[in-house]
This record gives sequence, C-alpha cells and structure tokens, in this order.
Amino acid sequence: MKRMISFTVLLAAFLLFAFFNTGKTTQSSQADSKTQKIYKIGILQLMTHPALDQIHAGVLAGLKQEGFVSGRNLKIDYENAQGDQSNLQTMSSKFANEKDDMTIGIATPAAQALAKAANGQTPVILAGITDPVGGGLIKSNARPGANITGTSGESPLKSQLDLIKQILPKAKTLGIVYTTSDHGGSYNAKKMAAIAKAAGYQVKLYTISTTNDMQTIAEKMVSQVQAVYAPQDNGVASAMKTLVNVANQSKVAVFPAVDTMVQAGGLATLSVNQFTLGKESGIIAGRVLKGEKTSTYPLTFVTRGQMAINTSEAKILGITLPNSVVKQAQTKGEIYK
Amino acid sequence: MSMIVSSIGQGLLWGILGIALFLTFRILNFPDMTVEGSFPLGAASAVTLITHGVDPLLASLAAFVVGALAGGITGLLYTKGKIPILLAGILVMTACLSINLRIMGSANVSLLGKKTIFSPLAGLPKYFDAIFIGLTIIVVVTLVIIYFLQSELGQAFIVTGDNPTMAQSIGIRTDRMTNMGLMVSNGLIAFGGAVIAQNNGYADINMGIGIIVIALASIIIGEVVFGELTMNQRLLAITLGSIIYRFVLLIVLQLGFSTNDLNLISAILLAICLMAPWLNSLLHLDKVIKKGVTVHD
Repeated sequence: MKRMISFTVLLAAFLLFAFFNTGKTTQSSQADSKTQKIYKIGILQLMTHPALDQIHAGVLAGLKQEGFVSGRNLKIDYENAQGDQSNLQTMSSKFANEKDDMTIGIATPAAQALAKAANGQTPVILAGITDPVGGGLIKSNARPGANITGTSGESPLKSQLDLIKQILPKAKTLGIVYTTSDHGGSYNAKKMAAIAKAAGYQVKLYTISTTNDMQTIAEKMVSQVQAVYAPQDNGVASAMKTLVNVANQSKVAVFPAVDTMVQAGGLATLSVNQFTLGKESGIIAGRVLKGEKTSTYPLTFVTRGQMAINTSEAKILGITLPNSVVKQAQTKGEIYK
Repeated sequence: MSMIVSSIGQGLLWGILGIALFLTFRILNFPDMTVEGSFPLGAASAVTLITHGVDPLLASLAAFVVGALAGGITGLLYTKGKIPILLAGILVMTACLSINLRIMGSANVSLLGKKTIFSPLAGLPKYFDAIFIGLTIIVVVTLVIIYFLQSELGQAFIVTGDNPTMAQSIGIRTDRMTNMGLMVSNGLIAFGGAVIAQNNGYADINMGIGIIVIALASIIIGEVVFGELTMNQRLLAITLGSIIYRFVLLIVLQLGFSTNDLNLISAILLAICLMAPWLNSLLHLDKVIKKGVTVHD
C-alpha cells in the first residue's frame, strides 16, 4: 500500500509540474529548430507487408532525389506498428514530441494517427493512401487544406478494365473479390464495380473476411463469372495462390491490380508500382521541406501503369495475349514465366 | 516530458479496460475473449453515431449498452447453451467483426474535424485532455465498482467467482451473476473502445487485435508491483499498472528497440510478471527487498 501511495503521489506531482511547464519548452525548442540544418523526419508504417515495404523504400529514394540523404542532412526516425493499432498513437506522439520537421504515414490508420498528433502544425505526407478524402485526412484532392498532402495509391482502374476487354473481348460477367476488413480493398472493388457496370459488364461482388474464406468463395465465384478482377487488397493479395488454383481449374482468368499478384499467378495487369508510388511521396516530402506549402500542394495520383503479364498462366488458360500487350510488357514492363 | 504525460494519459484511458477485465478475469475467474470484439464494437458504434451528429458523450454511453449486449450473448451461450466460456467468447468476438462492418459501413471511419468528448479540453497543454478525461472516467468507474462490490449483489457476485457450488447452495443464482458480470465487463470495454477511438481520431475494424493482452498487462503488473492489497486497493492498482505498462513501452521505444520486437517484449514482460510468485520463492526477493529497506531506514 505504501508503494502505491508514493507512486500515485509521484505521478500527481509530475503531472502538476508538467501542466505548468509544457507550453514553455515547446517555444524554446521551436526556436532551436530554425537554426538546425539537419531535418528530422518520422516515418510511421502500419505493418510489415511487401507492398508497404516497397513504398517505404520508394520514399527514401524520392527524398534522395530531392537531395535529402539520411545521415547527411536528414535524420530518419522509422517506426513500424506491426499491425497493432494501439502502438500507432504512442509512436506518432513520439514524433510530435521530438519535434520532427515532418512525418510520413504509410497505410491509412498510420496516417490518421500522424494527422492527429501533428494537430495541424507539422506537415504530414501521405504515402499511397487509397482514399484520403474518405479517410477524413484531407478536404479535397486538388486543395488538401491544412498540413497534409501526398500520393494516393488508387489503381488505374479504367486502364485495367480496358486491359481485360482487350484480352477477353467476349467476357461479359466480371467477378470482383475483396476483403471486408480492408479499407483500400473494398474502396477499389466498389469503384471498379461501378466503372465496369458503366462499361456494360455484369458485375458480381464477392467478399472474404479472412484469407481462409478464399477457397470456398473462389469456387463459388468461378462457377458464376467469365473473368475475375482482384483489386489492391491485402487479404486477396495474401490468398492469391488459392484464388489462382481454383480459377485455373475452371479456366477463368484472374486480372489483379498489382504486378506482385501477376507474379503470384494473375494473368496480366497495368499497375502502379508501389516503389514508384513511395518515390513520388518522397519527392513531395523533399519539396515541402524546401518550402512548398502542403495546403495547396495537390494530392498526386500515380496513374501511369506498367504492364505486367504472366506467360505460363496464359498457357494454362489457353489464352493468346494480344501482341500489343506483349510488346508493352517487353519494352517497359514485366514478363513472368 | 510530454511523452511521459502522453503515456500517463494513455495509461489512464487503457486502464478502463483493465478494470473491466478484472471483473471477469479475476473475480469470476474465467478468461473472456469477447473483449477483442466488444472493444472495436464500442468504437464502431460511438464513432458512427458521432459522424451522424449524435453528442459524443451520449454516443459513448450508447457504446456501453451495445457492449453489454455482446457480453450478454456470451453469457447466454455459456450459461444456457453450455458452450465453454473460452469458445463462447471467441464466437461472439468473431461475430462482432461482421457486425462492426455493418455498423461502420467500411473498414475505417475517421473522426477528424468532428466533435469528441476531448474537444472541450483542446485549450489545455498537450495531452492533458487525455489525462483529465481518463482520470474522470477512472475515478467514476472505480467508485461505482467499489460501491457495487460492497453491496449485497456485489458480494453474491464475488462468491459466485470464489466458489460457485457454495454460492448455489446458499441460494445465489450463479448464472445470473455470470451474465451480469459479462455484461458490465463488456459494456465497460466497449465504452473504453469508444473513448480510445475518440482519442485516436478514428475507428478501425482491426483495432481489437491484442486488446486482451493490454488489459491483462494492467491487472498483472499492478498486482506484481504493488503486492498484497485489499479489493478496493487492487482496483486502483490496475490503473497504476496500466500506466506502468505504457512507461515500459515508452522505454522500449526510447531505447531504440526495433518495433518489430515490441509484441515479443510485452509478452516476455507479462510472462515475467506472471512468474513473479515463483521467481520470488526461488530467489527470496522478498527478503532481499526487506533487508534493503531496513538498511536504508
């Protein structure tokens, strides 16, 4: 009991002291940071995941292109919450407390935690956030407002649909599968469904709640559709092999949203490279450090996709890929065999 | 310094979960997995209500009711359906995922720019909004629970956990007691979820993952650090334990440990705390500490 009382008293005394002193320390160190030439950047990533890691590597490359190199004029503080969202706030308040000049958020909850901690003051750069307006991060894509801007990781859905049309002109029913708990996945899936419907397709949406559901859902799906679209979705990406195995048995082609999913057995895609996406964010971060205003810096969409095709998959399905597609993949894209 | 303030604030807010879990984990003596579902359930309900213009305080209280319902279902599955408690909890937790999606309509709903229970305190020094709200909630919740446990109903509730057979023999309806415990506990967990979501600025479908470890940590650290206590003191110890847990995380982060190892480190910390009685008997720490204290005196 004694220990408990002394601990409580200690806490209360500290809080009382902190209450009357926090304001002052902020001001003095803000003055310091103006004379500093080494910029401090906090990067917060939601979890370890191939696509997110690629974005992270891209951010560093983009910063480098703008002349900011870690160890020379840049100090990078990198935190990864490992999917545990209760860590995000501690980590982002650590950045805020260390007076980082800027923070960069990879994945939506990470960016939201940073936005909250920055409280409208230090700039927050979004790296590949699918739907920043819907996530309440910015006011509009053209004029983000406040202190947040960056890149959106939205897939070039229209071009991807055109690719499906080009390869399978006869397909009329399109199945789209996504994970209910993945914000980006459901956003992309619903948007693609709308675009495909407008283009005259009959669209059927299927959802999984964990990767374990893929086998059952995929079996049902391939019996009802002529082609499958797999959006940028963490759950679907993880279960890509299962989806492809099922689809191959019914000779239904799977068109994924990213190149790594083509590698895992998808037929073809026109995708935004995650590294390029991160690099674009890094460049924006560099420009903001040089003095550009975040509030008027429009959100950047990386729209130019890279062709990626899987030739062995085409053989399995008995599909001959159009020459124009193959050529595009040969010159500027990826061919997986 | 403000990092420490932030940690204390977080500790107070997460302390609500510790106190809630104490009712089932320590008093009723069973592990309730429902909490990993009722926590995001509370967050989802409150955040959705707030985005629809409901007063944040009212929305948080609504979260309590929804959470209590979830706890009630676990209770019914256990007492009437004769499903083992661990399984009953996991079932409700799993069901909550779909329900949360229905409530929120998407996997993540943001509160940026919306009024929350923290908004009126925006003028305070940094992180003191969490301190004041957390402290108020903790004090109210602790007092209510202390009052409840001292009442006739509360005593019956305690006996149910201690010895259900004896409780039944003296005419206590143990099933009702269990249901009530699960409802109050999960109501509080959901309320905690609502408050923490407002503090974080968003509700996310996956925010329940690992919650039970955080709540357990507060209980166990409090017990180990502060030793033998009465029931009322134990409730206070949970909140302090929750604050200490945040300090440990802060130290781990500041020491520059890779965040990849954070979960491993908290698991090791908890394991050490759980083994404390055994370590104590092995190393005679008690005597060492007592000697140290007497020498200094």
